[in-house]
Parts: sequence; C-alpha cells; structure tokens
Amino acid sequence: MIGKLIWNDAKQNKLLSGATVFFMAACAMLGALTVLLLGGLTGAIDALADRAQLPDYMQMHTGDGGLTASEADAWAQTEAEIARFAESCADVRQWQVCRFLNLDNSMITLGGQRLSDSTQDNGLAMQGVRFDYLLDMENRPAEVLPGEVYVPVCYRARYHLSVGDTMTVESPAAAGTGRRTLVIAGFLRDAQMNSMMASSKRFLVNEADYESIKESFSVGNAEAGGAASCTEEYLIEFLLRDTANVNAFEAAYAAAGLPANGPAITRPLIRMMNALSDGTMIFVIFLVSIAVLLIALICIRFMLSLQMERDRKEIGMLKALGIGRAALCRMYLAKYLLFSGCGALVGLGAAFALKAPLERQIRELYGAPGGGVWTGVSALLAVLCTEGVLLFYIRHFLKKMEGLSVLEALCPGQQSAAPGREYSTGRSAKRRVENTARGYGQDVLIGAVTAVCVFMVLVPQNLYRTVSAPSFVTYMGIGEGEIRMDVRQTGDIDAAALRLAAVLEQDTRVEKHALLRTGVCAAVLEDGSTVNLTVETGNHGIFPVRFSQGGPPTQEDEIALSSMNARELGVSVGDKLRLGAGGNETAYTVCGIYSDITNGGKTAKACAAAGSGPAVWSVLYVSLKETVDREAWMEEYRRMGADVIDIAAYVTDTYSQTLEQLRLAAGVAFGAAVSVIAVVVLLFMRLIVERDRRLISLRKALGFTGRALRRVYFVKGMLPVTVGIIAGLLLGCVCGGQLCGAVMASFGAEGFRFAAASVKELLTLWALLTLTGAAAVLIGTRPIRDVEACECCRY
Amino acid sequence: MHKVLRVENLSKASILHEVSFEVAAGEMLAVMGPSGSGKSTLLYHAAGMACPSGGRVWLGSTEITGLSEDEKAKLRLHRMGFVFQQMNMIANLNILDNILLPAVQANKGRHRKSRAELTDKAKRLMEQLSVSGLEARSISQVSGGQLQRACICRSMINAPEILFADEPTGALNRGAAEEVLEALGRLNREGTAILMVTHDSRVARGCDRILYLLDGRLCGELRLGKPAAGTEKWREEQVNKWLSRLGW
Repeated sequence: MIGKLIWNDAKQNKLLSGATVFFMAACAMLGALTVLLLGGLTGAIDALADRAQLPDYMQMHTGDGGLTASEADAWAQTEAEIARFAESCADVRQWQVCRFLNLDNSMITLGGQRLSDSTQDNGLAMQGVRFDYLLDMENRPAEVLPGEVYVPVCYRARYHLSVGDTMTVESPAAAGTGRRTLVIAGFLRDAQMNSMMASSKRFLVNEADYESIKESFSVGNAEAGGAASCTEEYLIEFLLRDTANVNAFEAAYAAAGLPANGPAITRPLIRMMNALSDGTMIFVIFLVSIAVLLIALICIRFMLSLQMERDRKEIGMLKALGIGRAALCRMYLAKYLLFSGCGALVGLGAAFALKAPLERQIRELYGAPGGGVWTGVSALLAVLCTEGVLLFYIRHFLKKMEGLSVLEALCPGQQSAAPGREYSTGRSAKRRVENTARGYGQDVLIGAVTAVCVFMVLVPQNLYRTVSAPSFVTYMGIGEGEIRMDVRQTGDIDAAALRLAAVLEQDTRVEKHALLRTGVCAAVLEDGSTVNLTVETGNHGIFPVRFSQGGPPTQEDEIALSSMNARELGVSVGDKLRLGAGGNETAYTVCGIYSDITNGGKTAKACAAAGSGPAVWSVLYVSLKETVDREAWMEEYRRMGADVIDIAAYVTDTYSQTLEQLRLAAGVAFGAAVSVIAVVVLLFMRLIVERDRRLISLRKALGFTGRALRRVYFVKGMLPVTVGIIAGLLLGCVCGGQLCGAVMASFGAEGFRFAAASVKELLTLWALLTLTGAAAVLIGTRPIRDVEACECCRY
Repeated sequence: MHKVLRVENLSKASILHEVSFEVAAGEMLAVMGPSGSGKSTLLYHAAGMACPSGGRVWLGSTEITGLSEDEKAKLRLHRMGFVFQQMNMIANLNILDNILLPAVQANKGRHRKSRAELTDKAKRLMEQLSVSGLEARSISQVSGGQLQRACICRSMINAPEILFADEPTGALNRGAAEEVLEALGRLNREGTAILMVTHDSRVARGCDRILYLLDGRLCGELRLGKPAAGTEKWREEQVNKWLSRLGW
C-alpha cells in the first residue's frame, strides 16, 4: 500500500520528486567524488612512495663535492663517517648516498627545446642502489642502458616528448664541443620530486653516461667553455625503523656534525607537497559538495514544508483513521528514502563515471590511483552519510508535524492547544513570528542559496587570481621583485654572486637589487640540542616579504623566521635564538615571522648568520626601471651566463600544476553555481506558483491579467536573488579570504589575503548571475499563464 | 444497556462547557446546534482526536482522555470509524485502496489476514452500500454520494464499535444524502452505534435520540426511539417542534 502511495505521489508530483532526486544526486556525486579522488590521490602517492621505497629522511648536501680527485677522497672519508653514524643509530634501517649532477638549464635541450627558461634545478641521477628508486611508467625500477635517458613524467606533456626523442647536454658557450646526446627511453616517476613544487628534477642515466658528462662539464673543464657548468650534490638518505621518530633522528643527525649543506626533507613533507600540488581541485570539489549539501537541505526543507502544507488535511485524515505517528513517519520516510535513494544511486554512478577523467593527471604522475576496494567502500559510506544527514533532517522535520492534531489539520480554524495554553501571549507571539517567518521563508531561502552559490564561484576564482598574481611571491618567502638571478652551479658561489652584484651596481637600467645568500647553520634549542636552519642572509629591507608579525631584520643580531619554523622552534617575536656551534654561539632576537611555502616552509632571514657554512646558493633580486625592455635585459644577462628568471614566470612554473587545477576548479565551481542558481530559483518559483495557485486563480477571477501577476512574481523572485548576489559577493570577498587564509596558514602561508578583484570583474560576475537568476524566475513563473480563473471555485 | 461511549463534563476552553452524555450500544445519536455551537469540536474530542481542557471520555471501559497519542490512534483504528463532511480520501489511491487502507494498517500480529481476505471484506461492504463496481476508480471519477458511501465502507472496514459522522450529508445533494442516510441506517440496524453531528432536521429525525448544543452547552434532549415504517412524518414534526422551542 505504501509502495502504491509513493508511486502515485511521485507520478502526481513530478516536480517535487524530480527535485529531491536531483539534489540528492548532486550531493551524493560530489561527496563520493571527493572521497574517490582523495582516496585515489593519497593511495597513489603512498603506493608510489612504497614502490620507490621513498626515504624517511633525506639531507641534501652541496659544496665540497667529489669533482676532483682530492675532493673525492675527502668525500670517501665523509661517507665513512655517515656509515659509522648509521651503524650507531638504532633507528636506521638502511642508508645510502645518491649523487645528483646539477646541470645548468641552458645546457639541456629536450626534444629540440632548450630548458633555459626552466625554473627547476634539472640534473642527472643514477638508479638508487638500495632504495629511492626512480620508477618507469609501470611503476617498476627503470633500467637504463648507456646512451639512454629517462625523463621526469611531468615534462612529457610540457615539452611534448615521446619515447625516441633526444636529450642533449652541451655548453651553449662552446657549442658543438663535448656535446652528449641521449635517447629518451621512457619517462620516470620520481616519488620525491614528481611535484612541480619540488624545485629539482632528476633525469635517470646510466652510470657510464653520468660519469662521462660529469667529467666533461665539471667547473673549470675545458669543454665547458668556462661558462655553463655542473655541480655534484649528494642526497644522503635514510630509511628508518620507526618513521614517527623522524624529528628526533633529524636532531641526532645535526648533532653528529655530518654534511648538511642544503635543505633536509622528510617523507611527510614530500607527501604534503604532492598532495598540495594535486589536491587543490579535490579541496574545491569538497567545498562545493558541502555547499550543495547545504543547499539541498534547505531546498528539501522548503519542498517538505510545501508538501506538508498540501498534505496537512491528508495527514489529519490518516490520523483520524488511526494511522499512528510512527506509521505516518515511516510512510513519509519511505517516500524520501526512495527518492533520495534513487538520487544517491545516480550520484554514485556519476561519481564513478567522472572519476576517470578527473584522475588523468594523478594516473600520469603517480600511476594507477590507489585505494581500490576501500576507496569504493568509502565513497559508498560518504553517500550513505549524505543520505543519513538528509533522512535525519526529514525525520526532524516530520517530528514537528507530529504535534499537529487531527482537529487542527481538518479544521484549521479550531484551537487544539493543551489546557491553559490557548491564551498564552508568549506562545501566540512565537506563532506569529513563525507565521511571518514562513511567509518570508522562501525569499530567505532563495537569497541564501544565491549567496552560497556566489560564494562558491568567488572563492576559487579569487584563489586563482591570488596565486597567479605577481604579489603571490611574498607568500613564498620571496620579496616582490621582478627578476630573480640564481647562482648555484659554480665552484665558488659567493665569489660569483658578488661579481654579478658588482655588474648590477654599475647597470643604470637597474632600479634596485639585493643579494641574498643562503647557507645552513645550527640553531641551539633550549634543551641544548641543535637543529639545522636554512638561513638567507643579506639586506631584506629592499624586497621585503610579507610579515604576519614584526618586520624584516635590520640589525646584525636580529633574525626573522618562517611561520613553520617559529611554530616548530616554539619562539615568537622578541624571543632569543642562539645560532652557531661548538661554543661559538651568538644570540639573535626574533624580529619577525613571515610567510613561506617553499623548501618545506622552514626558512629564516638575517642580516648575517653566525656559524653559517658555505653558501648553498645565492639569489639576486632585481627591479628594473620602467622604461627598460625586461626581456632584452634578461636575454643580455643570460648570454653572460647568468641564470635569469622572470619572477612571474617562476611562480607560474612552480605552481603550474596547482594553477591549472585551480583554473579547472574555478571553472567547475562557476558552472556548478550557475546551474544551481538556475535550477533552485526555477524550482522555487514553480513551487511558489504551485502553492499560490488558488490565490492566483482568485486574482484572475477578480480581473488581474496573467501578465500583471507574472510581473508581481518576477519582482518577488528577483528581489531575494539580487540581495543574495550582493551578500554572496561580500561574503566571498571577506569570509572566503579568511577561510582560504586558514587553509594556507596550515601550509605555512601566514596572513594570506585575497588579491582584490577589479570592479569590472565583480560587475561582470554580478551581471552574469543576475541574468541567470532573471531567466530562471521568468521560466519559473510561466505556469501563471495556465492557471484558470475558475480553479479557485473547485476547492 | 451497555454504554459504548461515555462523555463526562467535557470542556474545551471557551468552546465546550462541561458537556456530558452517553451513547448506548446500537444507538444512533445526533448532535444538533447552530454554526459555531461546538458540535464538531465535541465530536472530535469525544473521539480522542484532540485534548480537552477538562472532563473525561470512555470508550466502553477504556478511558481515552488519559491515553497517549499513539494509544488513541490504535483505539481509533480498531474500535472507531469516521465519516467526514468533506469525505477526505487520499487522492493518490483508488476507491478500493482507500477503503482497504485502515484494514492494511490494522492487519498485524498472529491473526493476520491475507490481502485477498481483506479485499473480499471491502468488496462485501461496497456491495452492502451499493458502490460495488467502483473499486478501480479514482476519487474524482465518482459522484459525491458514491464517494461518501465509499467513506462509510472505509470507516466500517475494521468493524468498529462506534461510528462518528461529522455532517455526513453536508456536502451532498438531496438524492445523494438520502443514499448515505439509508446506508448509515442499515449499519445502525445491524448493531453499530453512531454519533452524528448535523444541522439538518431531516437527517436527525432518523436517529434514536437528539442532543441540542448551544454555545458549547447541552440545552436539550429529544428521545425518538428506533424509526419504524410510516413514522417519518410524525418524527419530523416532533423534531421541528422541539427545535422551535429551543429557538432554532
């Protein structure tokens, strides 16, 4: 009987039934998609990390490399020290030192395209001996033959490469001499450096090719022509027995005084970087699914209240016949369970269908998305959870209807309150408020839904604008300069950087410039233990970064810390921090805390740092005078052998994956929001017309024309839409920024603010959404034409 | 005689004031009164569909005023029947399914009947009330009189002890009203007690007893006894005289 009732009801109320199925399908699809993609991404990242046997702790080291025979001997001694340390440390399961031959980008040509404009540190590596394998596209350790090279998979699409293309390494300053050509045998997945946020990229070559290229292009070698060169870096890697102890291990490593001239990276940090690169779209889908769930709930509430209003008499009659509250509740719950169940199945199916195209990038970078059955089960649970929220909400709403007595339902004018309550002014006042609220309820709902949709459009768009804006570098711990010049692949970094600074000093086209030197020095904690700190020294007042507290260091004894470092070291502005080692320590005052999301977000800035080791790299920031042709200037310095990067291009390069995802997410959010506004406003207007059918009929009977009535309903519909759009724009600009700020802060970008949208952009958005709303209201009020004047007499 | 329904000092704020009466088994009692006198309110409170502000009501030996909503619903399902002025049938079900609805709801437990048995019972009732053949029709495809008789079938499907009728002929034309009254009379003759609210003296003359309600108070009672053949004229005169004495 219940089945027949539900079926007949669905047939008679196609609009309400269809709307319930639609909203449930949308919620279920987005919820399931979030879980599927998140499960797929984390599973794929973990699977790749497991197959590659990613190290738990990796210390990069540069400086006293083994390019010459004496240096090689010294390095052999250092390796022996590392071996002794590893043996003495119970936590170490395995260890190895991988070599990385960092090539100057201008030396590399991939498929005929020179990598001069690349912002990545590209270099050659050999296959890991014990762990940290570079995997082929089947996620197996790649085996490379002499004359072949495996190229990072992220370059395949970027440089349109395919197997059989060539990679050449040569010095542009001495074209033709010592040129090495390698055939691309395949593409590799590097569990450590897959993400574009990782600043280095490893090309896998055979040991013979590695040694030959190292020999040919090392600094000072004749073939290098004295300009472009390569340096060898060491990746000192450890696999730990207990990965939870990585912080303690890091401290032990620093205390042992082992090579540490470079950043240290941990497995969780790599995992976060990978997730951050590819998880942005998932995060936006998650936000959209929450918004759609909220919209679905308020829409279903509105539909329920309309339906209940219509079914009031029927409920009263059923109660009079003796159908108990539980049975009534079951009847309605069964109805919505069926509708929402259909929607959930449709949504789940759509999520599985959409999963494959959205996972294309994950598949490319990490291999088959992981998760398997468990991700499917989690997606099903997410859908069940959405269904549960919806049914719980319906149950809650039905509970309110339980209070309705038969007398109230069948004879609405009659009082049925319990004794003594009838004349309670408090209760009647509450009822008056409720009645008034019910009258304006649909307006509030249309306004709220529109506002949420506008918020949904604005947040990803603003996020995209902010990340792609030139000022975004200030969140990366970089000052807002125009040009960045890196000094890395050279024997004496300090001397080369000073030479370049002297040239810039003489260049009249340069408005201002700053030389910043990065080195690693030990910081002594309160308990006496030490940690290695990557400190950038120089004048930080010329291109200041964004400080969330305090300001840049101006005195010799001042230091500014990135927010992640400040949090980890437990210091704030005004606190003291000791730098240096072996009793030669200097106390520094923390003068500021700034935003940084590069190098794992753990950096420091000072005018000078005590006990700092050799320079790991140096960077020069430059701003040119307005009239100067920037491209020509950069080309000129490149010809001089400098590694020159346009900072806007640097950001685009570093965040290209994230930006691409954000652009996609912003597009999806815009499409979703416009569709939701169109569907919800249209649906609500149709429901309102359906609800007011008798009133409309009565007005027509009294002489109102259909056109006049449609005008009234158009104004009634457009008013909340307009208010909603304005509220959404305000919310998106103010609260959206705060919401994203909280998320960005967790990655180390403190004090995040949206880059403001221009008035023109806001007006365009407003116009587009208003047009969508107006079209929906017009279509939604169309049935007014079909209401006949005599209908009111039939009731 | 066994009392099916007993109402004692029933009050509802300013609508009903200490109303007391009884309905005996097999009795057909009408409550009359002008509009707004509280007739329907009295009926719904007597049937336990609303909470009175004072007084007590018994169905047989069960006091219904102290019961919970669910207990009262159970009582209405198994021991009471209802006929409304506006019929109140579910638009999404056909006539047969509407009649079967309370039977399906009540059909639980060890003595559960098959669907065929319930359908047979519904069809027998429809035949008794001359609406057979309308089973598959929707409620908009039958006349007012047929629909009201179908409603009576629905109210009788669980064989209640008492049938409450709120202006059962109020929305019908003369011919249809006669059919409905005939059907109610037949049920009463077969032993079903009926408490009916009406403002139509022609309807009331077919009852055993009539109560007159004015401003929520019982103001008079007329005992007519069971109708016999050829007494219609006399009964109508008695009712009219009584009503005019009460200022009707």
